Amino acid sequence: MLPAPFTAEFLNRLEVLRLRTRKEVLGNGPGVYSSPRRGTSLEFADYRKYSPGDDLRYVDWGIFARTDRLYVRLFREEVDLFAYVFVDASASMAFPSVTEKFSAACNLALALSYVVLANHDHVRLHSLNEAPAASPFLRGRNRIVDLIDFTAGIEPAGAPDLAVSLGAHLRRVRRPGKAILLSDFLVPADSYQKGLNLLRAFNLDIAAIQVLSRSELEPPLSGELRLIDSESREELNIRWNEATRRAYRERLERHNRELKSYCHQSGIHYSMYRTDEDLTDFVLKALPTMGLFK
Amino acid sequence: MEFLNPAWLYSLLLLPLLLIPYLIRRRPRRVVFSSVLLMREFAARVSADRSGVPPIFFLHLLILALLLLSLGEPSFPSRLLTVALVLDNSASMQAVEDGRSRFQAALGEAGRILRALPAGARVDVYLLAPRLAEIGEPALAPAQALAVLSRQKPLDVGERALDHGAEFSRLARERGYERLYFVTDHAAAGQNGNVRVVTVGRQQNNLAVTSLQLSRPLFNSPQLDARVEVRSFSAAEEKFTLNIKGGGRIIASRSYAVAPGKSAAAIFDSLPAYPFYEAEIASNDALTLDNRRFAVPPPAGGVKILAVSPRPEALASLRAIPGVELQVVAPEVYAKGDFPPHALEIFQYSAPATLPDNSALFILPPAENPLVRVGAGSAKAGVTGWREPHPLTRYVNFALFRPPYARPLKLGRTGEAIIQSSDGALAVAAEQKNFRYLALGFDPLPFLGRQNLPMSIFTLNVLEWLSAAQSRAIATGAPLAAGLRAGENLLAPDGQRVDLGANSAALYQGIYRVEGNGARYLAVNFDDVAESDLRATAPVQLRDEAGAPAERSLAALIWPYLSIIGLLLLLAEWLIHPLPIWRWKREPAQ
Repeated sequence: MLPAPFTAEFLNRLEVLRLRTRKEVLGNGPGVYSSPRRGTSLEFADYRKYSPGDDLRYVDWGIFARTDRLYVRLFREEVDLFAYVFVDASASMAFPSVTEKFSAACNLALALSYVVLANHDHVRLHSLNEAPAASPFLRGRNRIVDLIDFTAGIEPAGAPDLAVSLGAHLRRVRRPGKAILLSDFLVPADSYQKGLNLLRAFNLDIAAIQVLSRSELEPPLSGELRLIDSESREELNIRWNEATRRAYRERLERHNRELKSYCHQSGIHYSMYRTDEDLTDFVLKALPTMGLFK
Repeated sequence: MEFLNPAWLYSLLLLPLLLIPYLIRRRPRRVVFSSVLLMREFAARVSADRSGVPPIFFLHLLILALLLLSLGEPSFPSRLLTVALVLDNSASMQAVEDGRSRFQAALGEAGRILRALPAGARVDVYLLAPRLAEIGEPALAPAQALAVLSRQKPLDVGERALDHGAEFSRLARERGYERLYFVTDHAAAGQNGNVRVVTVGRQQNNLAVTSLQLSRPLFNSPQLDARVEVRSFSAAEEKFTLNIKGGGRIIASRSYAVAPGKSAAAIFDSLPAYPFYEAEIASNDALTLDNRRFAVPPPAGGVKILAVSPRPEALASLRAIPGVELQVVAPEVYAKGDFPPHALEIFQYSAPATLPDNSALFILPPAENPLVRVGAGSAKAGVTGWREPHPLTRYVNFALFRPPYARPLKLGRTGEAIIQSSDGALAVAAEQKNFRYLALGFDPLPFLGRQNLPMSIFTLNVLEWLSAAQSRAIATGAPLAAGLRAGENLLAPDGQRVDLGANSAALYQGIYRVEGNGARYLAVNFDDVAESDLRATAPVQLRDEAGAPAERSLAALIWPYLSIIGLLLLLAEWLIHPLPIWRWKREPAQ
């Protein structure tokens, strides 16, 4: 049973989308994504001198007529895509509730995965927590069910370091492809930068989607509080009033601005998804705007 | 400065409670948040200024203190010059607490009050028992009043059931007292601008002998039975030893236990003859006065009867009763005669002009008699009702009780119907001045013995009841002269001769010796259960009465100004801080 946002209409609209990559990818079979290898697609890539044994069909007879030299045309190889969807499953993703934030992030991950599956590309879902888990590479629309089962088995808990957790997953990545990272990024800048750099090092085309709940953007707090960090269990005494509310909002905006700036500088797609936002609108309007889809 | 309602000052102890809402509000709620990463900067700054309470707390404290203080009704003390001091000297003030009696404690309080008065003050001193009366000279100096009070001692009488608050208020108003102090063991309820109640004593457990009745099992029997009733005014079960004394010696003794608030009855049979008896419980309770009770036995060895009748034949049959000495005279002889002492008088078909100073039986009295009104015509002799239990109806089988002729009687100002027929009362009994009177609408004579057993038993009951009147005990506070005949003198239990002036009341319990026509004894007992109950005395209800002459002017009262200041501050606080602390809403916890 698909989650609530996945109506037939939404699925139909997802099927017409296709992930866009800004890098060449190494696929496993024929597809629509450019590969650094030369192949048999219709897209011209280069010329090279004829060598005995080359297929005469690729000899450019026009050049031969002008220069009396034999050149053969080379074409790009178009391959399928390997997409890696990383979902942050730390304890902070369960705030204010699993349903409100983590499930919303999973739905977004499933929507993106469905786009990949519908194009007969490969997708693998990774959960970033203290016990890293990943689904197998899946292909074909009907495998969305397996992904749903996989996300249902993830419980957000613990306080994994983003870089360490990503590193554990990347050891198994063999093919460059598309990496989509869904996280609240409520970690120090060093931590997320290290994690994103790791993805870059693996030559992956990266998209970072920050998932924040309404309670994090505008905390419904008041009075004398002892705030407990959901991951580190660190405690802070604070008097929550208009001044602190304003200060928190400024600090969060600064934090998000720094993240966005870093992504821009690093050639990473960045977008923020508010969990009270409509998933359909976000996927069909916001993500194409940021250039995630073709 | 003094407080008209000082009990409210205890409410100032509640002031620290004001801190509670602040402390509750200041106690940080534990809230789990996704990440405190972004709050670390300003959390440290906030924690630094968490010391102390907000300034609004001190404004709230001031408002609350002012309002509570104004409830105590502070006022500037005026210079009291005319003061009355009423001392409770009733029996309950004899209760002993911590080695001294309530009365001694009351004297101490009175002394403290008097010493605090200015030198020019004038004091009138009153005692509460047996009735509210001024003692000593009026307008005494405080030192003189203290001297007068120090000579007083508590009486063995209870208080009259009066509304003390209203009475004192009236007294203060009529006599123009600026302040009336009532020193008592009663608490006060309400307040009055002039009357102050000073309470001494606390709740105590107590046992009381509430009844001692001596009776002869048979008419003219030499033996005596005693019935004693002991009542508990304690919160727990009490064990005690009950002693019966005859002539000052213990002649019987038993141990009993009585449940809280209940009574225990004991019967002692075949007591030897003594001139008087005393029942005493050996108990160390607070009030020893009600641990004793006295009684004088009914006369034995014959009843002297003076009978007045125009037809004395039937009366002569009374001589058949053993112990009855009968003297029969005609009505006209009785009017001018001087007769030797006798226990009772019987008027058959006749009546004196006034009730005699003796117990008397009126048999079918004429219409002009001083006791009852006689109905017209004859009554049906059938008995339709009778008082039960009553000494006059004891052992009488009224199913067989059929007087041959009867006339209905109607109750006068006093008396109660003992036997009733369908047409009216057939027997009316009354008690006045320690004498007993009985009017019969039928003639029980002649005395036929076993031939008419119900009527004979009734006749013997009548003779016993009437003759027992002279040995009946009287209660403290009742007039002593009521139990005396002309020419008799009275010696108090301490041997002092009692001055029997007008309305001379029995102030002390004990056995009084009556001297005159032969010596006899009179038992006087303290008989007031309200005084014996030391657990919760009824409070003195004070009411502020408008128009009292000594009412304080508004200028002397501070509390209205304090109230106004408090309310103005409250208004100011509301303007500054529209949401009071008790209405602050809290966000739901995450």
